[in-house]
Amino acid sequence: MGNLQKSEPSLGFVIPVYSSVITLLIIVMTCVELCDAVTVVDVYRLVQYDVGGMPFGSRLAALNHHAGSAVLSSGAADLSRTVLILPVRELNLTFIRESIGWRKPLGGLLLLLPLDFSPQDTENIGEADHSSAKQLVKEVLVELEQLLIHANIPYPVYFGFEDDDVNSVLADVKRNDATGQLATATTGGYKLVVAAPEPKKIASPTISNTQGWLPGLKADGGSNQLPTIAIVASYDTFGAAPALSVGSDSSGSGVVAVLEIARLFSILYSNPKTRGRYNLLFGMTSGGPYNYNGTQKWLHSLDQRFRETIDYAVCLNSIGSSSNELWMHVSKPPENAYIKQIFEGFSNVAEELGLKVGLKHKKINISNPRVAWEHEQFSRLRVTALTVSELSVAPELLESTGGLSDKRQFVDEASISRSVKLVAESLARHIYGLEGKTIDIFADNSSLAVNPSYIRSWLDLLSATPRVAPFLSKNDPLIMALKKELTDHTVEVNVQQEVLDGIFTFYDSTSSRLHIYQVASVTFDLLLLLGLGSYLIVLFSFLVITTRGLDDLISLFRRPPSRKMKTA
Amino acid sequence: MTLFHFFNCAILTFGPHAVYYSATPLSEYDTLGTSIKAAVVYLITALVKLVCLATFLNVSETDSFDPYQELLKALIGFIDVAGLYFALTQLTHRNISQCHKFQAVGLGWAFADSVLHRLAPLWVGARGLEFTWDYIFQGLEANANLVLSLSLAALGSLMWLRKNKPKTLIPIIYACAGIVATMPSITSYLRQGLGWHLPKIVGFELFTSLGMAFISWQLFAACQRPSN
Repeated sequence: MGNLQKSEPSLGFVIPVYSSVITLLIIVMTCVELCDAVTVVDVYRLVQYDVGGMPFGSRLAALNHHAGSAVLSSGAADLSRTVLILPVRELNLTFIRESIGWRKPLGGLLLLLPLDFSPQDTENIGEADHSSAKQLVKEVLVELEQLLIHANIPYPVYFGFEDDDVNSVLADVKRNDATGQLATATTGGYKLVVAAPEPKKIASPTISNTQGWLPGLKADGGSNQLPTIAIVASYDTFGAAPALSVGSDSSGSGVVAVLEIARLFSILYSNPKTRGRYNLLFGMTSGGPYNYNGTQKWLHSLDQRFRETIDYAVCLNSIGSSSNELWMHVSKPPENAYIKQIFEGFSNVAEELGLKVGLKHKKINISNPRVAWEHEQFSRLRVTALTVSELSVAPELLESTGGLSDKRQFVDEASISRSVKLVAESLARHIYGLEGKTIDIFADNSSLAVNPSYIRSWLDLLSATPRVAPFLSKNDPLIMALKKELTDHTVEVNVQQEVLDGIFTFYDSTSSRLHIYQVASVTFDLLLLLGLGSYLIVLFSFLVITTRGLDDLISLFRRPPSRKMKTA
Repeated sequence: MTLFHFFNCAILTFGPHAVYYSATPLSEYDTLGTSIKAAVVYLITALVKLVCLATFLNVSETDSFDPYQELLKALIGFIDVAGLYFALTQLTHRNISQCHKFQAVGLGWAFADSVLHRLAPLWVGARGLEFTWDYIFQGLEANANLVLSLSLAALGSLMWLRKNKPKTLIPIIYACAGIVATMPSITSYLRQGLGWHLPKIVGFELFTSLGMAFISWQLFAACQRPSN
């Protein structure tokens, strides 16, 4: 009796203790994050877009397959449930061309870029790097990019970087593949998982054009009657990986040049004594890769009478490579007197700077929607314009638009400084009527010298900012920064927001995190189960034998027959 | 097949307890109540130890072996022994022989230890896609812990429940009990001070637990002979 009474209170507090322990366990379970992967890396997806309804790029984002390496690509194995990890340095382009061309089924593709192409790599060097290995990688990347963006790929394609974790995983995968066995659920290996939702269309992507206005010295009439010179560059990029398209040369160099020229002329124009009799219009347009759509919309938004006062427009395309040769592209025939005059002015200054400027003429075809150079949008509205660029041949659609290979290390800031001086000097001599005279307005070591650190800091900033227009919001920090910078140098700044033309449609999900898991095969689990089962059975038999005797063990198996005998 | 792996590790960690209960005469004498009471006593002991550790121990930033802290932890570890004493002596059980009592108490103690220390990591970790050997080693550790708990319970029952012990064996009994009680401190010293890896530590634990079990079995048998 006493025993029973004493045991009740002890049972009384058992239940609350147990329940609190269980609730604690539940809380622990829900709070802990299941992030137990071998490696988690940032990866960037291949662009997905439609042109007039035709799909291009990688159409899927979610990834959940086993990893394979380049060793498997040569065999005839079924790779539809395998993700191939291919470093770009050792890439076999014919394999990629074949798998895309013949529509070979593949679980996914992970392309590894060298670490120095990473946006976090801050070892930026002043001069362009010309090592042959890097040039080779650059060429491979250019070709790879063109291949990927013009293909319709039904599986996810991601770009990553060769950091230590990924390299060790790849070495492991290569070793496993060398045995000839494909990594599947039954054999174990590495599993690559990207948990991304289905990519959605970006509805009405906006493009923002920024313009800055420096009025010239009024004569007796208003400043509206003064002629205007426009200096324009397009700031957005397009590439195979939109989250990595920083476009240092294609458009980055142009933007930096426009900002520097604006700064120099703002110093000149701040003093009425040195203000020229020309208005200056600085423009940063968007929509460059898409047939200069933004420039067209911007020009249409300008008042027609104002457009007629534009004397000529200078558009700046890539000017960052370290060659000494620049090209002036025009659409009016070179025999035109005005073009001749402008070109002569540029050539004179170029000679003094040690540069060589050539003239290239390309007729515009109004019926062809393809606009290869920015000045063609001006020419279609009968404004004289020219493009200064290092490229001698007009690029095709979505070519040379600042993609994967266009990184900071390949841009020479000294070349940008020289080009800035060329354009600024030629413009200034035209504005102040000093053509033919040997006078150095923006002389080095003067207060009007081209500032290399200004160029470098803006180039570094632009080289760290991906600028694909549909992915830039209306109030993106970069657009705000450009607006603020132009406000510092010019008198009137306007930002115009437009919607990108309907034939281009873009899809989101440009970057994700990749989880790499090391998984054991099902056979391993089954073997373990077998081992544990036999261990428990052995333990059971051992304990029965030692504590109850061998007879008891045998009687466990003989009980049913003995019962039958009893009832019988 | 990650739930599969969780299932495997769970039967490795908790299976032996169930097997022990069903294989030995414990199940025939229905000593489940005793085991549950021992488990509850273990819970309370664990809470008391936690409070003492939080109050008296200061957390060191480095992972090094600090003798003073380890001594303090060992002293707090003796609260374990006090709890076991309480479970063995103070809880009134139905009339079961001493032989079965210590087994039931040891089993309940070890089961509560496994559940408290190993169930949550197992549930959270073993279900993930990533495969590690950690949970299998944890299961082996649980097995070693079971054997150690049984030996400690046996030695404890010898010390506190058996009145007539041969004089020569008393110091050996106390010495063995001391070794088994300080086993956690020894393993933490091996892990942090000497830097042993998990497989080595688990092997050491299994070996020593089997050794101590054998010794305590011999002692128990030796103490039982005079009463026969």
